[in-house]
Amino acid sequence: MKLIQRKQRTVGWRATTLLGAAVIGLSLALAQAQPPAKSGGSKKPEPKKVRHDLTGEELYQINCNRCHSERYPTEFTAAQWQTIMLEMRVRANLPAEQSRKILEYLQQDSGN
Amino acid sequence: MGVALPPRATAAVTDEDFNALKNQVQQLNSTVQGLQQEHQQDQQTIQQLRDQLGQTQTLATNAVQKAEAAQAQATPGPSARHNFTMAGDAEVQFSKAAGQHGGFALADFAPIFLYRANDNILFEAGFDTSLDSGGNTTFSMSFGQLDYVWNDYVTVVAGDMLLPLGTYNIRSAGWLTKIPDAPLVDDQILPGSGVGAQLRGGIPIGDTGQMLTYSVYGVNGPGAGDSTTGDAFQSTNSPSVGSPNLDLGGNLTSPNEHPDPSGGGRVGWFYPWKPHYDVELGISGQSGEWGYVGNHLWSAAVLDAAVHISPYFEAKGEYANTWYGTDASGTIHPHGWWVQASYKLAGLNLELPVVNDLELVGRYDRLNDGLGTKTDRYTAGLVYYFTDTLWFESDYEYLSSHGPNAMPPNEVIAQISYGF
Ligand code: HEC
Repeated sequence: MKLIQRKQRTVGWRATTLLGAAVIGLSLALAQAQPPAKSGGSKKPEPKKVRHDLTGEELYQINCNRCHSERYPTEFTAAQWQTIMLEMRVRANLPAEQSRKILEYLQQDSGN
Repeated sequence: MGVALPPRATAAVTDEDFNALKNQVQQLNSTVQGLQQEHQQDQQTIQQLRDQLGQTQTLATNAVQKAEAAQAQATPGPSARHNFTMAGDAEVQFSKAAGQHGGFALADFAPIFLYRANDNILFEAGFDTSLDSGGNTTFSMSFGQLDYVWNDYVTVVAGDMLLPLGTYNIRSAGWLTKIPDAPLVDDQILPGSGVGAQLRGGIPIGDTGQMLTYSVYGVNGPGAGDSTTGDAFQSTNSPSVGSPNLDLGGNLTSPNEHPDPSGGGRVGWFYPWKPHYDVELGISGQSGEWGYVGNHLWSAAVLDAAVHISPYFEAKGEYANTWYGTDASGTIHPHGWWVQASYKLAGLNLELPVVNDLELVGRYDRLNDGLGTKTDRYTAGLVYYFTDTLWFESDYEYLSSHGPNAMPPNEVIAQISYGF
Protein backbone atom coordinates (compact mmCIF):
# COMPACT_ATOMS: atom_id res chain seq x y z
CA MET A 1 0.00 0.00 0.00
CA LYS A 2 2.62 2.43 1.11
CA LEU A 3 4.82 1.44 -1.77
CA ILE A 4 2.09 1.95 -4.31
CA GLN A 5 1.29 5.35 -2.90
CA ARG A 6 4.94 6.31 -3.06
CA LYS A 7 4.99 5.33 -6.67
CA GLN A 8 1.79 7.20 -7.49
CA ARG A 9 3.24 10.18 -5.82
CA THR A 10 6.43 10.17 -7.84
CA VAL A 11 4.52 9.68 -11.06
CA GLY A 12 2.14 12.46 -10.14
CA TRP A 13 4.96 14.83 -9.40
CA ARG A 14 6.83 13.87 -12.48
CA ALA A 15 3.77 14.47 -14.64
CA THR A 16 3.07 17.82 -13.00
CA THR A 17 6.68 18.90 -13.27
CA LEU A 18 6.84 17.86 -16.91
CA LEU A 19 3.58 19.60 -17.76
CA GLY A 20 4.70 22.68 -15.86
CA ALA A 21 8.10 22.71 -17.54
CA ALA A 22 6.50 22.25 -20.95
CA VAL A 23 4.08 25.13 -20.50
CA ILE A 24 6.72 27.43 -19.00
CA GLY A 25 9.05 26.50 -21.85
CA LEU A 26 6.35 27.20 -24.40
CA SER A 27 5.51 30.55 -22.91
CA LEU A 28 9.17 31.56 -22.70
CA ALA A 29 9.68 30.53 -26.32
CA LEU A 30 6.66 32.58 -27.30
CA ALA A 31 7.92 35.46 -25.24
CA GLN A 32 11.10 35.54 -27.29
CA ALA A 33 9.39 34.84 -30.59
CA GLN A 34 9.47 37.40 -33.38
CA PRO A 35 6.31 38.10 -35.32
CA PRO A 36 6.38 36.00 -38.51
CA ALA A 37 8.05 37.85 -41.38
CA LYS A 38 5.70 39.10 -44.06
CA SER A 39 6.28 36.88 -47.09
CA GLY A 40 6.41 39.66 -49.65
CA GLY A 41 6.72 38.56 -53.27
CA SER A 42 6.16 34.90 -52.55
CA LYS A 43 5.20 32.77 -55.52
CA LYS A 44 1.95 31.50 -54.07
CA PRO A 45 -1.03 33.57 -55.18
CA GLU A 46 -3.25 35.02 -52.48
CA PRO A 47 -6.09 32.67 -51.55
CA LYS A 48 -9.29 33.41 -53.40
CA LYS A 49 -11.49 33.61 -50.31
CA VAL A 50 -11.78 37.19 -49.23
CA ARG A 51 -10.99 37.39 -45.56
CA HIS A 52 -10.92 40.43 -43.41
CA ASP A 53 -9.37 40.91 -40.02
CA LEU A 54 -12.04 40.88 -37.37
CA THR A 55 -12.95 44.38 -36.21
CA GLY A 56 -13.00 45.44 -32.58
CA GLU A 57 -16.76 45.29 -32.63
CA GLU A 58 -16.81 41.73 -33.98
CA LEU A 59 -14.23 40.61 -31.43
CA TYR A 60 -16.33 42.24 -28.73
CA GLN A 61 -19.39 40.31 -29.93
CA ILE A 62 -17.44 37.07 -30.02
CA ASN A 63 -15.77 37.36 -26.62
CA CYS A 64 -17.60 39.71 -24.33
CA ASN A 65 -20.79 37.86 -23.60
CA ARG A 66 -19.69 34.31 -23.28
CA CYS A 67 -18.98 34.52 -19.53
CA HIS A 68 -21.58 37.14 -18.69
CA SER A 69 -24.26 39.28 -20.26
CA GLU A 70 -23.04 42.07 -22.47
CA ARG A 71 -21.65 45.23 -20.88
CA TYR A 72 -22.08 48.31 -23.01
CA PRO A 73 -19.41 50.83 -24.06
CA THR A 74 -21.33 53.73 -22.52
CA GLU A 75 -21.28 52.15 -19.05
CA PHE A 76 -17.71 53.25 -18.34
CA THR A 77 -15.29 56.03 -19.23
CA ALA A 78 -12.37 55.50 -21.59
CA ALA A 79 -9.95 55.31 -18.65
CA GLN A 80 -12.14 52.82 -16.77
CA TRP A 81 -12.40 50.67 -19.89
CA GLN A 82 -8.64 50.54 -20.12
CA THR A 83 -8.56 49.19 -16.58
CA ILE A 84 -11.44 46.76 -17.03
CA MET A 85 -10.06 45.47 -20.32
CA LEU A 86 -6.78 44.70 -18.59
CA GLU A 87 -8.74 42.67 -16.05
CA MET A 88 -10.84 40.92 -18.71
CA ARG A 89 -7.82 40.24 -20.88
CA VAL A 90 -6.28 38.33 -17.99
CA ARG A 91 -9.55 36.58 -17.06
CA ALA A 92 -10.25 35.47 -20.61
CA ASN A 93 -6.63 34.90 -21.69
CA LEU A 94 -7.28 37.17 -24.65
CA PRO A 95 -4.47 37.57 -27.17
CA ALA A 96 -2.91 41.06 -27.10
CA GLU A 97 -4.06 42.22 -30.53
CA GLN A 98 -7.66 41.22 -29.87
CA SER A 99 -7.88 42.98 -26.53
CA ARG A 100 -6.32 46.10 -28.05
CA LYS A 101 -8.96 46.19 -30.80
CA ILE A 102 -11.79 45.58 -28.35
CA LEU A 103 -10.51 48.38 -26.12
CA GLU A 104 -10.43 50.77 -29.07
CA TYR A 105 -13.99 49.84 -29.93
CA LEU A 106 -15.18 50.36 -26.35
CA GLN A 107 -13.36 53.66 -25.97
CA GLN A 108 -14.83 55.06 -29.18
CA ASP A 109 -18.30 54.94 -27.68
CA SER A 110 -17.39 55.20 -24.01
CA GLY A 111 -19.31 57.33 -21.56
CA ASN A 112 -17.92 60.47 -19.95
CA MET B 1 8.02 128.96 -82.60
CA GLY B 2 11.51 128.55 -83.90
CA VAL B 3 10.80 131.53 -86.03
CA ALA B 4 10.32 133.61 -82.92
CA LEU B 5 13.81 132.82 -81.65
CA PRO B 6 16.35 135.52 -82.41
CA PRO B 7 18.90 134.27 -84.88
CA ARG B 8 21.61 135.17 -82.39
CA ALA B 9 20.50 132.48 -80.05
CA THR B 10 20.97 129.82 -82.71
CA ALA B 11 24.27 131.08 -83.46
CA ALA B 12 25.28 131.14 -79.79
CA VAL B 13 24.91 127.26 -79.29
CA THR B 14 28.09 125.55 -80.09
CA ASP B 15 28.32 121.99 -81.26
CA GLU B 16 30.07 121.16 -78.00
CA ASP B 17 27.20 122.50 -75.94
CA PHE B 18 24.69 120.69 -78.09
CA ASN B 19 26.47 117.40 -77.74
CA ALA B 20 26.81 117.80 -73.98
CA LEU B 21 23.12 118.54 -73.72
CA LYS B 22 22.29 115.59 -75.94
CA ASN B 23 24.39 113.31 -73.77
CA GLN B 24 22.63 114.54 -70.69
CA VAL B 25 19.23 113.96 -72.27
CA GLN B 26 20.27 110.45 -73.28
CA GLN B 27 21.53 109.72 -69.76
CA LEU B 28 18.30 110.99 -68.28
CA ASN B 29 16.40 108.84 -70.74
CA SER B 30 18.18 105.66 -69.75
CA THR B 31 17.82 106.55 -66.08
CA VAL B 32 14.07 106.93 -66.57
CA GLN B 33 13.96 103.63 -68.42
CA GLY B 34 15.88 101.97 -65.59
CA LEU B 35 13.48 103.44 -63.09
CA GLN B 36 10.55 102.28 -65.14
CA GLN B 37 11.93 98.74 -65.19
CA GLU B 38 12.54 98.83 -61.47
CA HIS B 39 9.03 100.08 -60.96
CA GLN B 40 7.64 97.24 -63.00
CA GLN B 41 9.71 94.74 -61.04
CA ASP B 42 8.56 96.29 -57.79
CA GLN B 43 4.98 96.03 -58.93
CA GLN B 44 5.48 92.37 -59.75
CA THR B 45 7.11 91.74 -56.40
CA ILE B 46 4.26 93.51 -54.65
CA GLN B 47 1.74 91.41 -56.53
CA GLN B 48 3.62 88.23 -55.66
CA LEU B 49 3.73 89.28 -52.02
CA ARG B 50 0.02 90.02 -52.12
CA ASP B 51 -0.66 86.58 -53.59
CA GLN B 52 1.52 84.94 -50.97
CA LEU B 53 -0.18 86.86 -48.22
CA GLY B 54 -3.54 85.69 -49.52
CA GLN B 55 -2.37 82.10 -49.57
CA THR B 56 -0.92 82.39 -46.08
CA GLN B 57 -4.19 83.81 -44.82
CA THR B 58 -6.19 80.96 -46.34
CA LEU B 59 -3.75 78.45 -44.88
CA ALA B 60 -3.96 80.07 -41.48
CA THR B 61 -7.75 80.08 -41.57
CA ASN B 62 -7.78 76.44 -42.63
CA ALA B 63 -5.34 75.55 -39.90
CA VAL B 64 -7.42 77.27 -37.27
CA GLN B 65 -10.55 75.54 -38.51
CA LYS B 66 -8.82 72.18 -38.53
CA ALA B 67 -7.37 72.73 -35.09
CA GLU B 68 -10.80 73.63 -33.77
CA ALA B 69 -12.37 70.59 -35.40
CA ALA B 70 -9.61 68.34 -34.02
CA GLN B 71 -10.01 69.82 -30.58
CA ALA B 72 -13.73 69.16 -30.71
CA GLN B 73 -13.10 65.53 -31.60
CA ALA B 74 -10.14 64.67 -29.44
CA THR B 75 -10.43 63.29 -25.92
CA PRO B 76 -9.07 65.80 -23.44
CA GLY B 77 -5.35 65.18 -23.44
CA PRO B 78 -3.54 61.88 -23.03
CA SER B 79 -5.19 59.50 -20.62
CA ALA B 80 -3.75 59.24 -17.14
CA ARG B 81 -1.41 56.36 -16.39
CA HIS B 82 -3.12 55.51 -13.14
CA ASN B 83 -6.72 54.58 -12.78
CA PHE B 84 -8.80 53.30 -9.93
CA THR B 85 -12.10 51.63 -10.69
CA MET B 86 -14.51 49.85 -8.44
CA ALA B 87 -16.81 47.13 -9.70
CA GLY B 88 -18.53 44.18 -8.12
CA ASP B 89 -21.92 42.86 -7.19
CA ALA B 90 -24.49 42.64 -4.45
CA GLU B 91 -27.02 39.94 -3.63
CA VAL B 92 -29.89 39.21 -1.35
CA GLN B 93 -30.76 35.55 -1.10
CA PHE B 94 -33.78 33.76 0.23
CA SER B 95 -33.72 30.02 0.79
CA LYS B 96 -35.87 27.33 2.21
CA ALA B 97 -34.59 23.79 2.51
CA ALA B 98 -36.82 20.84 3.36
CA GLY B 99 -37.29 20.50 7.10
CA GLN B 100 -35.90 23.95 7.80
CA HIS B 101 -37.44 27.37 8.15
CA GLY B 102 -37.21 29.58 5.16
CA GLY B 103 -35.80 33.05 5.32
CA PHE B 104 -33.34 35.49 3.98
CA ALA B 105 -30.21 33.46 4.04
CA LEU B 106 -27.66 35.90 2.81
CA ALA B 107 -27.05 39.52 2.09
CA ASP B 108 -23.88 39.98 0.25
CA PHE B 109 -21.86 42.90 -1.00
CA ALA B 110 -18.84 41.94 -3.06
CA PRO B 111 -16.83 44.88 -4.32
CA ILE B 112 -13.89 44.42 -6.66
CA PHE B 113 -11.16 47.02 -6.53
CA LEU B 114 -9.18 47.51 -9.68
CA TYR B 115 -6.07 49.63 -9.64
CA ARG B 116 -4.20 50.10 -12.90
CA ALA B 117 -0.68 51.42 -12.43
CA ASN B 118 0.10 51.71 -16.14
CA ASP B 119 -0.76 49.98 -19.42
CA ASN B 120 0.52 46.64 -18.19
CA ILE B 121 0.03 46.45 -14.46
CA LEU B 122 -3.23 45.81 -12.68
CA PHE B 123 -3.99 45.04 -9.08
CA GLU B 124 -7.36 43.43 -8.51
CA ALA B 125 -8.89 42.47 -5.22
CA GLY B 126 -12.32 41.04 -4.58
CA PHE B 127 -13.93 41.19 -1.18
CA ASP B 128 -17.00 39.59 0.23
CA THR B 129 -18.99 41.24 2.96
CA SER B 130 -21.92 39.12 3.91
CA LEU B 131 -24.51 38.81 6.52
CA ASP B 132 -25.52 35.18 6.94
CA SER B 133 -28.65 33.65 8.40
CA GLY B 134 -26.97 33.36 11.78
CA GLY B 135 -26.75 37.13 11.92
CA ASN B 136 -23.00 37.03 11.52
CA THR B 137 -21.25 39.50 9.33
CA THR B 138 -18.22 38.10 7.61
CA PHE B 139 -15.67 40.00 5.65
CA SER B 140 -13.25 38.09 3.51
CA MET B 141 -11.00 38.53 0.54
CA SER B 142 -12.00 36.20 -2.25
CA PHE B 143 -8.95 37.07 -4.32
CA GLY B 144 -6.22 39.67 -4.39
CA GLN B 145 -3.84 39.43 -7.28
CA LEU B 146 -1.30 41.43 -9.21
CA ASP B 147 -1.41 41.05 -13.00
CA TYR B 148 1.57 42.06 -15.09
CA VAL B 149 1.23 41.83 -18.85
CA TRP B 150 4.77 40.76 -19.62
CA ASN B 151 4.32 40.63 -23.38
CA ASP B 152 1.73 39.72 -26.02
CA TYR B 153 1.64 36.09 -24.96
CA VAL B 154 2.45 35.97 -21.28
CA THR B 155 0.82 37.61 -18.27
CA VAL B 156 2.35 37.06 -14.86
CA VAL B 157 -0.10 36.80 -11.97
CA ALA B 158 0.81 36.63 -8.31
CA GLY B 159 -1.04 36.76 -5.02
CA ASP B 160 -4.17 35.07 -3.79
CA MET B 161 -5.31 34.02 -7.22
CA LEU B 162 -8.52 32.61 -8.63
CA LEU B 163 -7.53 29.16 -9.83
CA PRO B 164 -8.29 27.91 -13.32
CA LEU B 165 -9.31 24.47 -12.10
CA GLY B 166 -12.30 24.11 -14.33
CA THR B 167 -13.90 27.44 -15.18
CA TYR B 168 -16.63 27.96 -12.61
CA ASN B 169 -14.63 29.65 -9.87
CA ILE B 170 -12.83 32.03 -12.16
CA ARG B 171 -16.08 32.96 -13.91
CA SER B 172 -18.48 33.62 -11.14
CA ALA B 173 -20.23 36.58 -9.59
CA GLY B 174 -23.84 37.10 -8.58
CA TRP B 175 -24.73 38.60 -11.95
CA LEU B 176 -22.84 35.96 -13.94
CA THR B 177 -24.02 32.65 -12.62
CA LYS B 178 -27.57 31.85 -13.59
CA ILE B 179 -28.21 29.71 -10.52
CA PRO B 180 -27.46 31.28 -7.11
CA ASP B 181 -25.56 28.35 -5.64
CA ALA B 182 -22.41 26.81 -7.05
CA PRO B 183 -22.23 23.36 -8.59
CA LEU B 184 -21.43 20.77 -5.92
CA VAL B 185 -17.96 19.94 -7.21
CA ASP B 186 -16.89 23.58 -7.25
CA ASP B 187 -18.46 24.22 -3.89
CA GLN B 188 -17.10 21.17 -2.13
CA ILE B 189 -14.16 19.44 -3.73
CA LEU B 190 -12.22 22.02 -5.79
CA PRO B 191 -10.28 24.97 -4.36
CA GLY B 192 -11.42 28.35 -5.70
CA SER B 193 -8.26 30.29 -5.06
CA GLY B 194 -4.71 29.76 -3.95
CA VAL B 195 -1.68 31.75 -2.93
CA GLY B 196 1.13 31.60 -5.43
CA ALA B 197 2.16 32.69 -8.90
CA GLN B 198 0.89 32.00 -12.37
CA LEU B 199 1.73 32.52 -16.03
CA ARG B 200 -1.19 32.78 -18.43
CA GLY B 201 -2.07 33.96 -21.89
CA GLY B 202 -3.66 33.22 -25.22
CA ILE B 203 -2.39 32.49 -28.68
CA PRO B 204 -4.64 33.34 -31.64
CA ILE B 205 -5.13 30.64 -34.27
CA GLY B 206 -5.89 32.09 -37.69
CA ASP B 207 -7.94 35.26 -37.95
CA THR B 208 -11.42 34.14 -37.00
CA GLY B 209 -11.08 34.64 -33.26
CA GLN B 210 -10.08 31.06 -32.55
CA MET B 211 -7.48 30.71 -29.82
CA LEU B 212 -5.53 28.44 -27.55
CA THR B 213 -5.28 29.57 -23.96
CA TYR B 214 -3.00 28.40 -21.18
CA SER B 215 -2.43 28.95 -17.47
CA VAL B 216 0.28 27.36 -15.38
CA TYR B 217 0.73 27.99 -11.70
CA GLY B 218 2.34 27.08 -8.42
CA VAL B 219 0.36 27.55 -5.19
CA ASN B 220 0.57 26.52 -1.57
CA GLY B 221 -2.16 24.03 -2.30
CA PRO B 222 -4.48 22.27 0.08
CA GLY B 223 -3.23 21.83 3.60
CA ALA B 224 -4.21 20.17 6.81
CA GLY B 225 -6.90 22.51 8.00
CA ASP B 226 -6.49 22.51 11.71
CA SER B 227 -3.01 22.61 13.11
CA THR B 228 -4.17 21.91 16.67
CA THR B 229 -5.76 18.56 16.01
CA GLY B 230 -2.91 17.40 13.86
CA ASP B 231 -3.64 14.62 11.47
CA ALA B 232 -6.76 13.77 13.39
CA PHE B 233 -8.63 12.43 10.46
CA GLN B 234 -5.78 10.38 9.25
CA SER B 235 -5.58 8.51 12.51
CA THR B 236 -9.29 7.76 12.50
CA ASN B 237 -10.12 4.46 10.99
CA SER B 238 -13.60 5.29 9.91
CA PRO B 239 -13.69 8.13 7.41
CA SER B 240 -17.37 8.61 8.08
CA VAL B 241 -16.82 9.68 11.67
CA GLY B 242 -15.74 13.16 10.81
CA SER B 243 -14.77 15.19 7.83
CA PRO B 244 -11.15 14.94 6.87
CA ASN B 245 -8.69 17.46 8.13
CA LEU B 246 -8.25 18.72 4.59
CA ASP B 247 -8.38 22.44 3.93
CA LEU B 248 -8.87 23.26 0.28
CA GLY B 249 -8.43 26.94 0.96
CA GLY B 250 -4.75 26.49 0.36
CA ASN B 251 -4.08 29.97 1.55
CA LEU B 252 -1.45 31.29 3.88
CA THR B 253 -1.08 28.58 6.44
CA SER B 254 1.92 27.77 8.54
CA PRO B 255 4.62 26.32 6.35
CA ASN B 256 4.61 22.85 7.83
CA GLU B 257 1.03 22.24 6.82
CA HIS B 258 2.07 21.45 3.29
CA PRO B 259 5.73 20.66 2.84
CA ASP B 260 5.87 21.52 -0.87
CA PRO B 261 3.77 23.75 -3.06
CA SER B 262 1.37 22.31 -5.60
CA GLY B 263 1.60 22.81 -9.34
CA GLY B 264 -1.25 23.05 -11.78
CA GLY B 265 -2.56 24.50 -14.99
CA ARG B 266 -5.21 24.61 -17.65
CA VAL B 267 -5.15 24.47 -21.43
CA GLY B 268 -8.22 25.65 -23.29
CA TRP B 269 -9.36 25.80 -26.89
CA PHE B 270 -11.90 28.41 -27.94
CA TYR B 271 -13.53 28.09 -31.33
CA PRO B 272 -16.07 30.71 -32.43
CA TRP B 273 -17.53 30.25 -35.88
CA LYS B 274 -19.46 33.48 -35.77
CA PRO B 275 -20.44 35.97 -33.05
CA HIS B 276 -22.54 34.19 -30.39
CA TYR B 277 -21.74 30.76 -31.80
CA ASP B 278 -18.80 29.06 -30.15
CA VAL B 279 -17.36 26.03 -28.41
CA GLU B 280 -14.79 26.01 -25.64
CA LEU B 281 -13.03 22.96 -24.25
CA GLY B 282 -10.58 22.89 -21.38
CA ILE B 283 -8.51 20.48 -19.39
CA SER B 284 -6.99 21.41 -16.06
CA GLY B 285 -5.26 19.80 -13.14
CA GLN B 286 -3.33 20.34 -9.95
CA SER B 287 -1.17 18.16 -7.80
CA GLY B 288 0.92 18.55 -4.67
CA GLU B 289 1.49 17.36 -1.15
CA TRP B 290 -0.97 18.05 1.61
CA GLY B 291 -0.92 17.31 5.34
CA TYR B 292 1.84 17.68 7.87
CA VAL B 293 4.00 14.77 7.11
CA GLY B 294 4.18 15.38 3.44
CA ASN B 295 3.81 11.82 2.31
CA HIS B 296 0.45 12.20 0.59
CA LEU B 297 -0.65 13.95 -2.53
CA TRP B 298 -3.80 15.89 -3.24
CA SER B 299 -4.49 15.90 -7.00
CA ALA B 300 -7.29 17.06 -9.25
CA ALA B 301 -8.15 16.65 -12.92
CA VAL B 302 -11.00 18.62 -14.48
CA LEU B 303 -12.54 18.72 -17.94
CA ASP B 304 -14.72 21.68 -18.86
CA ALA B 305 -16.82 22.53 -21.87
CA ALA B 306 -19.10 25.37 -22.94
CA VAL B 307 -21.22 25.94 -26.05
CA HIS B 308 -23.13 28.98 -27.28
CA ILE B 309 -25.60 28.64 -30.10
CA SER B 310 -27.18 32.01 -30.87
CA PRO B 311 -27.34 34.79 -28.27
CA TYR B 312 -30.03 32.76 -26.49
CA PHE B 313 -28.75 29.27 -25.85
CA GLU B 314 -25.87 28.26 -23.64
CA ALA B 315 -24.74 24.88 -22.29
CA LYS B 316 -21.75 24.18 -20.10
CA GLY B 317 -20.38 21.68 -17.65
CA GLU B 318 -17.45 20.25 -15.76
CA TYR B 319 -16.25 16.78 -14.91
CA ALA B 320 -13.94 16.71 -11.89
CA ASN B 321 -11.91 14.02 -10.21
CA THR B 322 -9.80 14.56 -7.11
CA TRP B 323 -7.68 12.17 -5.08
CA TYR B 324 -5.92 12.46 -1.79
CA GLY B 325 -3.96 9.99 0.20
CA THR B 326 -4.48 9.28 3.90
CA ASP B 327 -2.67 6.94 6.27
CA ALA B 328 -5.82 5.39 7.64
CA SER B 329 -8.10 5.11 4.66
CA GLY B 330 -5.85 4.95 1.67
CA THR B 331 -6.67 7.12 -1.28
CA ILE B 332 -9.95 9.00 -1.06
CA HIS B 333 -11.51 9.85 -4.41
CA PRO B 334 -14.10 12.66 -4.37
CA HIS B 335 -15.50 13.20 -7.85
CA GLY B 336 -18.49 14.48 -9.70
CA TRP B 337 -19.81 16.45 -12.64
CA TRP B 338 -22.47 18.88 -13.70
CA VAL B 339 -24.12 20.21 -16.82
CA GLN B 340 -26.18 23.34 -17.14
CA ALA B 341 -28.27 24.59 -20.04
CA SER B 342 -30.12 27.83 -20.37
CA TYR B 343 -32.33 29.52 -22.92
CA LYS B 344 -33.39 33.16 -23.18
CA LEU B 345 -37.03 33.31 -24.20
CA ALA B 346 -36.35 36.45 -26.23
CA GLY B 347 -35.13 33.95 -28.83
CA LEU B 348 -38.74 32.93 -29.46
CA ASN B 349 -39.53 36.41 -30.80
CA LEU B 350 -42.84 36.48 -28.98
CA GLU B 351 -42.60 40.21 -28.36
CA LEU B 352 -44.23 39.74 -24.97
CA PRO B 353 -42.95 42.13 -22.32
CA VAL B 354 -42.23 39.81 -19.39
CA VAL B 355 -41.48 36.69 -21.37
CA ASN B 356 -38.89 38.55 -23.40
CA ASP B 357 -36.87 39.19 -20.25
CA LEU B 358 -36.93 35.63 -18.96
CA GLU B 359 -34.30 32.94 -19.19
CA LEU B 360 -34.96 29.32 -18.30
CA VAL B 361 -32.16 27.36 -16.72
CA GLY B 362 -31.66 23.74 -15.72
CA ARG B 363 -28.74 21.93 -14.12
CA TYR B 364 -27.85 18.41 -13.19
CA ASP B 365 -25.21 17.86 -10.50
CA ARG B 366 -23.61 14.74 -9.19
CA LEU B 367 -21.15 14.39 -6.36
CA ASN B 368 -19.52 11.47 -4.65
CA ASP B 369 -17.56 12.96 -1.78
CA GLY B 370 -15.37 9.87 -1.43
CA LEU B 371 -16.44 9.55 2.18
CA GLY B 372 -19.63 7.62 1.63
CA THR B 373 -22.06 10.34 0.60
CA LYS B 374 -23.52 10.41 -2.89
CA THR B 375 -25.73 13.20 -4.12
CA ASP B 376 -27.70 13.78 -7.29
CA ARG B 377 -29.20 17.22 -7.59
CA TYR B 378 -31.67 18.47 -10.20
CA THR B 379 -32.15 22.20 -10.42
CA ALA B 380 -34.74 24.04 -12.48
CA GLY B 381 -35.11 27.77 -12.42
CA LEU B 382 -35.51 31.05 -14.14
CA VAL B 383 -33.78 34.36 -14.38
CA TYR B 384 -35.73 37.54 -14.85
CA TYR B 385 -33.64 40.39 -16.24
CA PHE B 386 -34.69 43.80 -14.99
CA THR B 387 -31.57 45.01 -16.77
CA ASP B 388 -28.52 43.13 -18.02
CA THR B 389 -26.99 43.19 -14.56
CA LEU B 390 -29.99 43.41 -12.27
CA TRP B 391 -31.54 39.97 -12.00
CA PHE B 392 -34.10 38.06 -10.10
CA GLU B 393 -33.31 34.35 -9.94
CA SER B 394 -35.51 31.64 -8.56
CA ASP B 395 -34.80 27.92 -8.44
CA TYR B 396 -36.17 24.68 -7.18
CA GLU B 397 -33.68 21.95 -6.32
CA TYR B 398 -34.55 18.34 -5.92
CA LEU B 399 -31.87 16.20 -4.28
CA SER B 400 -31.35 12.52 -3.87
CA SER B 401 -28.60 12.34 -1.29
CA HIS B 402 -27.48 9.35 0.74
CA GLY B 403 -24.72 8.85 3.26
CA PRO B 404 -23.34 10.38 6.42
CA ASN B 405 -23.25 13.90 4.98
CA ALA B 406 -26.58 13.69 3.13
CA MET B 407 -28.13 16.96 2.03
CA PRO B 408 -31.82 17.90 2.49
CA PRO B 409 -34.15 16.40 -0.17
CA ASN B 410 -35.15 19.72 -1.66
CA GLU B 411 -34.55 23.43 -1.49
CA VAL B 412 -36.01 26.60 -2.91
CA ILE B 413 -33.67 29.52 -3.53
CA ALA B 414 -34.45 32.98 -4.74
CA GLN B 415 -32.00 35.77 -5.22
CA ILE B 416 -31.78 39.30 -6.42
CA SER B 417 -28.38 40.19 -7.71
CA TYR B 418 -26.89 43.29 -9.13
CA GLY B 419 -23.60 43.76 -10.92
CA PHE B 420 -22.02 47.20 -11.02
C1 HEC C 1 -13.51 34.25 -19.12
C2 HEC C 1 -14.75 34.84 -18.78
C3 HEC C 1 -14.95 36.30 -19.15
C4 HEC C 1 -14.88 36.86 -20.39
C5 HEC C 1 -14.58 36.18 -21.72
C6 HEC C 1 -15.17 38.27 -20.22
N1 HEC C 1 -15.45 38.54 -18.92
FE1 HEC C 1 -16.01 40.32 -18.14
N2 HEC C 1 -16.14 39.50 -16.30
C7 HEC C 1 -15.87 38.18 -15.98
C8 HEC C 1 -16.08 37.98 -14.57
C9 HEC C 1 -15.89 36.67 -13.82
C10 HEC C 1 -16.50 39.22 -14.05
C11 HEC C 1 -16.97 39.58 -12.63
C12 HEC C 1 -16.06 39.43 -11.58
C13 HEC C 1 -14.82 40.25 -11.67
O1 HEC C 1 -14.81 41.38 -12.16
O2 HEC C 1 -13.84 39.74 -11.18
C14 HEC C 1 -16.52 40.15 -15.16
C15 HEC C 1 -16.87 41.48 -15.04
C16 HEC C 1 -16.95 42.38 -16.07
C17 HEC C 1 -17.37 43.76 -15.94
C18 HEC C 1 -17.85 44.45 -14.68
C19 HEC C 1 -16.80 45.23 -14.05
C20 HEC C 1 -15.76 44.39 -13.38
O3 HEC C 1 -14.59 44.67 -13.60
O4 HEC C 1 -16.10 43.48 -12.62
C21 HEC C 1 -17.28 44.32 -17.18
C22 HEC C 1 -17.59 45.74 -17.56
C23 HEC C 1 -16.80 43.28 -18.08
N3 HEC C 1 -16.62 42.11 -17.38
C24 HEC C 1 -16.58 43.47 -19.43
C25 HEC C 1 -16.10 42.49 -20.29
C26 HEC C 1 -15.74 42.72 -21.66
C27 HEC C 1 -15.82 44.05 -22.38
C28 HEC C 1 -15.33 41.53 -22.17
C29 HEC C 1 -14.81 41.24 -23.57
C30 HEC C 1 -13.45 41.45 -23.76
C31 HEC C 1 -15.43 40.54 -21.10
N4 HEC C 1 -15.90 41.16 -19.99
C32 HEC C 1 -15.15 39.19 -21.25
C33 HEC C 1 -15.50 37.19 -16.86
C34 HEC C 1 -15.31 37.36 -18.22
